[in-house]
Amino acid sequence: MDLNYPLTRRQSLKKIAQISASLAGAALGACPLLSQGLAKASTAGKGFIVEGIGSKQDYNIKDLAGKVFEAAGGIGQFVSRGDVVVIKPNVSWARRPALAATTNPEVVEAVIELCLDAGAKKVRIADHTIHDARRCFALTGVGIVAKRTGADLVFPRSSLMKRMKLHGHRLDVWPVFVPLVEADKVINLPVAKVHELSTLTLGMKNWIGGVGGRRNALHQDIHQSIVDLSRFFNPTLTLIDATRIMISNGPSGGSPSDVAVKNTLILSNDQVAADAKAAALFGYDPGEIGFIHFGQKWGLGTYDSQKLIQQRVVL
Amino acid sequence: VRAKHLVWIRRISQAFFLGLFLFLLVESRLPEDAYLQYSLVFSSDLDLRLSQPVTFFFQLDPLVWLSSLLSGHRLIQGFWWALGLLMLTLFLGRIFCSFICPLGTIHHIVSWVRPAIRGNRMTLANQKTPGHRIKYFLLITLLVGAGMGLNLAGLIDPISLLFRSLALAVLPAIGVGLKELFDVMAASDMKVLNYMSYGGEALVSPVFGYGYLAYKTAWFIGLIFLVILFLNRIRPRFWCRILCPLGALLGIFSRFSILRLEKDEATCTDCKLCSRRCQGAASPMPGQTWENAECLSCFNCFDACPEGALSFRFRWSPKSNRWPDMGRRAVLGGLVGGISLPLLGQLDGRAHHVSDPRLIRPPGALPEEDFLRVCQRCGLCMKACPTNVINPTLAEAGMAGFWTPHLIMTQGYCEYTCTLCGSVCPTGAITEISAREKIERPIIIGVAYINRGRCLPWSGNGPCIVCQELCPTSPKAIYLRKEIVPGPDHSPMLGNVPHVDLKRCVGCGICEHKCPVRGRPAIRVIAAGESRSLKNQILLTGSVS
Repeated sequence: MDLNYPLTRRQSLKKIAQISASLAGAALGACPLLSQGLAKASTAGKGFIVEGIGSKQDYNIKDLAGKVFEAAGGIGQFVSRGDVVVIKPNVSWARRPALAATTNPEVVEAVIELCLDAGAKKVRIADHTIHDARRCFALTGVGIVAKRTGADLVFPRSSLMKRMKLHGHRLDVWPVFVPLVEADKVINLPVAKVHELSTLTLGMKNWIGGVGGRRNALHQDIHQSIVDLSRFFNPTLTLIDATRIMISNGPSGGSPSDVAVKNTLILSNDQVAADAKAAALFGYDPGEIGFIHFGQKWGLGTYDSQKLIQQRVVL
Repeated sequence: VRAKHLVWIRRISQAFFLGLFLFLLVESRLPEDAYLQYSLVFSSDLDLRLSQPVTFFFQLDPLVWLSSLLSGHRLIQGFWWALGLLMLTLFLGRIFCSFICPLGTIHHIVSWVRPAIRGNRMTLANQKTPGHRIKYFLLITLLVGAGMGLNLAGLIDPISLLFRSLALAVLPAIGVGLKELFDVMAASDMKVLNYMSYGGEALVSPVFGYGYLAYKTAWFIGLIFLVILFLNRIRPRFWCRILCPLGALLGIFSRFSILRLEKDEATCTDCKLCSRRCQGAASPMPGQTWENAECLSCFNCFDACPEGALSFRFRWSPKSNRWPDMGRRAVLGGLVGGISLPLLGQLDGRAHHVSDPRLIRPPGALPEEDFLRVCQRCGLCMKACPTNVINPTLAEAGMAGFWTPHLIMTQGYCEYTCTLCGSVCPTGAITEISAREKIERPIIIGVAYINRGRCLPWSGNGPCIVCQELCPTSPKAIYLRKEIVPGPDHSPMLGNVPHVDLKRCVGCGICEHKCPVRGRPAIRVIAAGESRSLKNQILLTGSVS
């Protein structure tokens, strides 16, 4: 845990517990035992990336998502029994799912079901949308997914935006959409699209939908803002929905001709790696995209895939 | 039926219709669980609609029907409710006023809960006065004006007035107040208060509205409503007796009413209790001539009479009732008003000259002249709009268009796939369109233009592509191009600057709404180019018109 970065309440409680535990441990003269435990935890956190591709005509998105998580060691690795999980899809636009402006609702549904299978106490879907949230949740299909799976839909409200210290290189204090912070596990579930300013909008840029305030000013230093926000939110997992990607007129799209079908899901615990992998689908070299480059530079992750455990699933 | 029962039936009916009105009023917004009805969401193009018949009271209102028929020559959807009500009135008198009208019920409650005058003074206050003729004057002005093409009925039609007052002033005022309270609670460090804030808001906002609703001139709408309520202290149901044009219309139609007040002068002890409780000042006392057109059929006099000298009876004689006492002046004044107002209304030039650039009408609105002929200014579209962009006009549409809807993009924007306002318009002033129609025709409400002095990249003040990013058309109407712009130290620099393609822009205004330059954004929408107008066009199009 890096103390230069803000702590959530849960983290600080954990930290206090850890400190008091280590104090107690020191008093008992059991220091070597504790440090052994910490070393073990850090190897378990090694970066991985899984690419799942549905090659068959009628592959099932849920099966693909299940296989992808299996390849990553199973959802149980990341979601524990009794966890509160918050899912951050990109449902910014009141558009039907086929237009690829928003996360495919079938992917959202698959992930929620996996979390519930893993014993999650509660799954929430939260996004600070651009269009009216009621219309976004209805038209993009996440509303009906929430109803089917019993997940909570969290509507963006001004009372849920709290000013927090981001400790970013560019952003210091900014209103944050609280439900995305007050959870045990955070899963980022973006859709892959092109974007005029940031080149692409993938996982890291999805965190712009996690804050309130004057979001339209973030564009004045978009790449650093994205990295600051990604560092702050630091999701447990990033699953990029590239079943359909938007190849032109992004990020709003609006026409079937703006959409390309890729039948791909990219799962990683490394935000930078996931975005780098998705960038390749658009034919970009990850290093030439500002926020991916900065992400590696500031130690958020790596786009050097050799440093990660790589898996590939084809269905 | 005994008098007491009749009065109770009336009270139950009043409570029911007031409740129904308030329920439909509250339901005139997109709910948070709008998705529930849409199980086919994954495949089809959808138009979100409200689940309740929110226009019911407008369909029931004969003044809405008659004024839009006379003025706009169109029959509004569901007008047979109004027709049915007129038929009913023809035989039973103004029972709408005392049994159904929600505004009447509110006046009834206000003047009953804390009467300002008591005893004998109340008896005096309930005598008919020449002031009662004002409502006929107003009705004639409205109907003659409507016939001449100026439809102002909605300004004082009781249903429109009540809807507008509650939807645009009362509910948002309470709602924003509560929202501020919840915000304070949410900002607290105490977890309990946070949860209470969350729960409270979830409970309250479906009723009072989501977020911080704002309507221009709402304070004025609210003030008028308060004044109208206050008038009950001068005389009970002041509005119904003296001002209500719908009451006047129903009064005229009660001419053949077979439900009549029978007086038995022999048993009357002249106690005047009937007059004291009379809601309409309709002279129920034996010895006076019963004013059939003023009688609200509230049955209070019937109930009040201790001697049984009064009773309501059906009488099947062909003899018609008294013609309402309008007075020659009210009729002549009404004619003069009705003829002169439409002529005066044209003088601000809206009809024959170019309209105000800020007059951006909702998508699907009729051409301006037809629009003004049927718009009731009821505020239903404003209440239903999910982004709160639709606001009442003040002077943008001229005198004839006071309080009609227009879009203020700094307050909201017209969502590209949303067609809710047209689906709730009671008179069809905003036609119902589908999202597909809106996009494919396309329905253009204005166009955006860029103010390069304010725009960040154009003025060399840094990168910004917010307008381009949010532009919803495909391909985008706002595109970026690299151009040389003046840099901070007057040195030329390469900037990625936005341009508007007039052939693609539909005027939705999301660019203006989200522009980081607040207040007077660097990109703005004007009404020019709106597809409903043949005159207000910029580009030379293929067809000659």
